[in-house]
Amino acid sequence: MESRGLFCFSALLALPPVSILAQAAVEGRVELPKSHSAPVMAKRYEIVTRGGVLSTEPPVAVVYLEGSFPRSSSVPTKQIVQKNLTFVPSLLPVQVGTKVEFPNLDDTYHSIFSYSPAKRFDLGRYRPEERPIPSEVFDKPGLVTLRCDIHEHMRGLVLVVETPHFVVSDTDGRFRLGGLPPGRHVLKAWVDSKTTREQPVDLKNRATAHVDFP
Amino acid sequence: MIAGSSPKRSDIATFRTKLSTAMMLVVAAITAFGFYLAQRNVARNAERALRQNFQTELSALDKLLELRHAAVTERCQKLAANPRIHAALEDNALDLLYPSAKDELRDLMRDEEASGDQVASTLRAKFYRFLDNHGAVLPPPNPSDVGVLSATTEAELTFKKLPEVQQIGYIANDDSSGDTIQEVTAVPIFSTETGEVISALVLGFRPLELAPLIAATGMRSGVWANGRLHLPSLEKSAQESLVGEITNAFMKSKQLENNFRVTVNGAPHLLFYKRLNPDSLFPPAYEICIYPLAGSIAQLHRLRWQIGFAGGLLLLGGFVASHFIALRFSKPVEQMAVDSEKNRIQRRRAEAALASTSERLERSTRYSADASHQLKSPLTVLRAGLEALLAREDFNPETHEELSTLLHHTHRLSGVIEDLLLLSRMDAGHLRIDSEPVNLSQLVGDWLDDLGALPDSPDVKIEEEIPPDLYVAGEKRYTSLIVQNLLENARKYNREGGRIRVRAKADDSGIVLTVGNTGQSITPDAQAHVFKRFRRASIAGSVAGHGLGLNLARELTRLHGGDLKLVRSENGWTEFELRLRAAQPAVERRGQNV
Repeated sequence: MESRGLFCFSALLALPPVSILAQAAVEGRVELPKSHSAPVMAKRYEIVTRGGVLSTEPPVAVVYLEGSFPRSSSVPTKQIVQKNLTFVPSLLPVQVGTKVEFPNLDDTYHSIFSYSPAKRFDLGRYRPEERPIPSEVFDKPGLVTLRCDIHEHMRGLVLVVETPHFVVSDTDGRFRLGGLPPGRHVLKAWVDSKTTREQPVDLKNRATAHVDFP
Repeated sequence: MIAGSSPKRSDIATFRTKLSTAMMLVVAAITAFGFYLAQRNVARNAERALRQNFQTELSALDKLLELRHAAVTERCQKLAANPRIHAALEDNALDLLYPSAKDELRDLMRDEEASGDQVASTLRAKFYRFLDNHGAVLPPPNPSDVGVLSATTEAELTFKKLPEVQQIGYIANDDSSGDTIQEVTAVPIFSTETGEVISALVLGFRPLELAPLIAATGMRSGVWANGRLHLPSLEKSAQESLVGEITNAFMKSKQLENNFRVTVNGAPHLLFYKRLNPDSLFPPAYEICIYPLAGSIAQLHRLRWQIGFAGGLLLLGGFVASHFIALRFSKPVEQMAVDSEKNRIQRRRAEAALASTSERLERSTRYSADASHQLKSPLTVLRAGLEALLAREDFNPETHEELSTLLHHTHRLSGVIEDLLLLSRMDAGHLRIDSEPVNLSQLVGDWLDDLGALPDSPDVKIEEEIPPDLYVAGEKRYTSLIVQNLLENARKYNREGGRIRVRAKADDSGIVLTVGNTGQSITPDAQAHVFKRFRRASIAGSVAGHGLGLNLARELTRLHGGDLKLVRSENGWTEFELRLRAAQPAVERRGQNV
């Protein structure tokens, strides 16, 4: 089922070609806190809490362009699967109004819920073969912490943003965000639940701006 | 004499009183001491028994408390592990905290009627509250679900900082069912991720009551906390007065556990207390147990009576004994006093008598001595004159004869004077006996020889039975005088053709010489006076003598440690018995000395 996760991710990366008319792009690097564990190649992140602050391990950042953009008529459905008693991906940025499905790929019950102010929901206990796949529409911006009532260690994060322009950096903090509308914007970088950095950015048509988050 | 001894009697009475008083004091002291010991013993035993009871009940209570705490702790750990509680706390969804915990804590808040058994009821909470990470109470959305508390009571549950260990406290809850005290347990909730204290669960329980294990003790138990007493089995008024006493005691003593006496409803009680929540952040609370001392006091009363009774008996016995002892003691003392008084009087009398007697005696001896001397010198002159006249040739035979008779009388007179002198010396105590062995056999033999040679001796037959060499202890001339007196008497008072029998023998007590003679018997009246001076037997008129011989002989005999007595005088036979101490012959003694 790894291919499914990768598919999700490639779908996310495939966003810029959709708005091909928008010509601008931005790239750069977000300075991330040092990871304590060895870097993993697989794009799976654990959610860790340090002093009440949730972040990924290894650390990654979500870079997104602030501002209100016309909502595309069809927001694609996303998936966070429960596999090996973890959420995959453990950090998912979505645009407001995105429906996220939570398929259970384990052989046990899961009971996904969230008490986060951005989205409170409780899917209740369900089996792997539960159909339709339990899903939730995230209609408010903010950070949503996913938990499982049965497996207390399970954590997942859904970062709900207004904008359709967002990308997850690699573990070095490097990112590239294309297909952006030219103009003056604010570029934000979410690092952990308490830290979101921002930089003003002036996007030119057919040009790639360079923004670093120190 | 009575008048003289009456002050002594009062002395005796005083002595008796003193003795009795002393004994009663001793008995009273013993009684008092016994009483003191018994009382102390009873009080100590009672206290020990009650303390034991208290400890037992407390340990039972402790077990229940431990059970409860363990259960609560486990519950809180579960809660802390509950993702929903975590989510509510960490995601700031506090409105969802109580609903999330509701299921988890449902069994703690069950209706009281639901379960009857004690262990379950000890786990039944009256209320619960969560504290936020600053130690303040998180307000429940629906208080009726988690137990209604007043704002002031709720405020008592807050901490300045969340505790890291379980805390036990006792708070008053005025709202529900009057003045009750709730046992409060605050259990920290640790984050499963960070290990930090993120919250605390505070549970309120009905305080565990000590079920009296021994109903007879009348024990009442309760809780004192923060200046308030919760002792449901005691009336309000009694509680109020007790609160003051207890609070004072706690102010004075910082001990975690002790006991003291209190008065409840006018009756003495022993109060035990023990700190229920040592080292707690909550205000100090104490388990209180009061035990009526009525039982031990009744026992003490009984004992007091018993001891009092025993003491009374002892006192009575002591009194009687002391009376008797005093009597026993005082009798000889009394007798002594009386006797000494009698003795004193008698002695005084005797002394007076003795003085007068000795004076008289001295006078008489002096008189007789003087008289003897006064008589002796003219007698000597007289005798010398008569002898000179007899020597002359110019007197006719008749005159010569008369002169000779006169001379003979001067000899007799001289003898009397000698005797008188001897007697007066004896009377004055001046006569000393130089004792030596005297051969009595020989002495008697010599005198018997002389007896026949006397000119005026009647014709008597002499029978003698004298073993040779009988020695007596005495001075020879006095012994000789005694023997001479006896033999001369036997001859003098004999009849013509009569006989004299002289016998001597040695027996256990000495030497006995018996001199018997025929002749007129001495009348029984005269027999009593035969040894008195100047008393002569009525027959003596015709016989020469002066009535001193027997007296002298007896006095001398007694001076020698012997005796002389008249054995019989009847039917013409008179017999005297002389008893003298035997002695070893001087020759033998000399031989021994060499």
